[in-house]
Amino acid sequence: MIRLCSVEELDEDEILRVELDGGHGIAVYLLDGEIFATDDLCTHGEASLAEGEIEDGKIVCPFHLGSFDIRTGAACAAPCSIALKTYPVEVIGGDVHIAM
Amino acid sequence: MNDAHRWLNEHPELGSGPIPIEPYIAPDWYEREREKIFRKVWLCVGRVDEIPKKGDYKVKRLAAADTSVILMRGKDDVVRAYHNICAHRGNTVVTETGPETFGRSKAAIVTCRFHGWVYGADGALKHVPSEERFYECFDKQKNGLSPIHVDFWEGFIFINLAETPDASLTEFLGDYAAHFAGFPFAELSYQFTYYTELECNWKVAHDAFAEAYHVDTIHAGSFPNTFSTGLQNVKLMGPHRTCAVCLTLGATPTPVAGIANSIAGASLVTQRAETMLPPSINPDKREDFAFELSVLFPNTLIHVSEGIWFTHQFWPIAHNRTLWEGRYYVRPPKTNAERWAMEHAMTLQRNAWLEDTATMEDTQRAMQSRAKTVQNLQDDEILIRHSAVVVDEYVNA
Repeated sequence: MIRLCSVEELDEDEILRVELDGGHGIAVYLLDGEIFATDDLCTHGEASLAEGEIEDGKIVCPFHLGSFDIRTGAACAAPCSIALKTYPVEVIGGDVHIAM
Repeated sequence: MNDAHRWLNEHPELGSGPIPIEPYIAPDWYEREREKIFRKVWLCVGRVDEIPKKGDYKVKRLAAADTSVILMRGKDDVVRAYHNICAHRGNTVVTETGPETFGRSKAAIVTCRFHGWVYGADGALKHVPSEERFYECFDKQKNGLSPIHVDFWEGFIFINLAETPDASLTEFLGDYAAHFAGFPFAELSYQFTYYTELECNWKVAHDAFAEAYHVDTIHAGSFPNTFSTGLQNVKLMGPHRTCAVCLTLGATPTPVAGIANSIAGASLVTQRAETMLPPSINPDKREDFAFELSVLFPNTLIHVSEGIWFTHQFWPIAHNRTLWEGRYYVRPPKTNAERWAMEHAMTLQRNAWLEDTATMEDTQRAMQSRAKTVQNLQDDEILIRHSAVVVDEYVNA
């Protein structure tokens, strides 16, 4: 398990970008009280999804307004067509963890 | 000395003869103004608090210079300016919805909606879809947004479209900057804006606001019997000009205006204690001082008064077409009563502006008849005379 952040750092209006060793970025979301984690890099361009906007349970990429379902990673709007990798999240002692 | 000719006595270099009408109606004169003025001097294009957050941007159309400027606040909090054109095939990067288009991007980027090229607030080309299909000669580093010179004064954003400006903004503003230094422009942030396109030359619009001679006639409805001693403290500063407009501030307002004045004092024609005016404004502490009327060359009028400031800007679109923008600023209200009183003052001001703009299209149409070739100015119309002289100097430089 890899620790990403504490639960307190999360906000419904802000997406947290956590950089793992080696530079891999993970976007952490608080969505209606539930925590989700996906890759931060858009599968289409080179955008950081943490800089995008959440709309109706989807993360909208700031570069080209393509989107992904935050819960499943499914690509929802063009030009995104490749699903986004999602990670199962576990909260242990107030800290957010994912299994890689 | 004839006191009725006091400004001529102070500024004999401006002359006293009639002013030609041709510069207001001739398309070729306008072409020279575009080249010698609007593509050369510093232009005031907004305020930093219009784009307060990182990634906020505004696009302003500048028809006189055949371009639109993107003003964008970067992640480093610095506001930069670029031409709104994509390096790919020349589309506008930000799709414009009018003379001013506002937007925000958390990522501090703008994306061309034609083929998805992405530019950062630092101007760099960040992403090109299918980049591998472009040839070796295509260099992403050399295809960022085209920058425009930008500088700031008292929260106002200025741009200069020249490749190399003739002067820095500080040099260009000269004594004008010192005259207004210290006025709390940013604190008086509660504002309204009116804008419309007028079928007149930009100088017709400038001239209509650059004197107080018209107040008694045109504003008999909105500000009755307020005209008193007219202009005071005229100061000409290079291409810029300023003066105090003095009105009879004791005139009985309508009952409702009286209530509004007593709550907020947000109207120009009410007596208010002086607490925020820089020492250079109303230096003689005249009782009838209403507001400072200044022209920041070429097309921005800035007026300041106790608790109020307002601007008019005249953006040429053609020799006989102008975008007029009027903005009025007061301190944000703290109570509902203050809010109401300010709205009342603003509505009254709007009415006065409608009265002001009403003559402009008539003037242009009549001037275009060429039945008269000159206009005759009186001494208190010195700001108009100064404008005509300055424009002539620039155009014939």
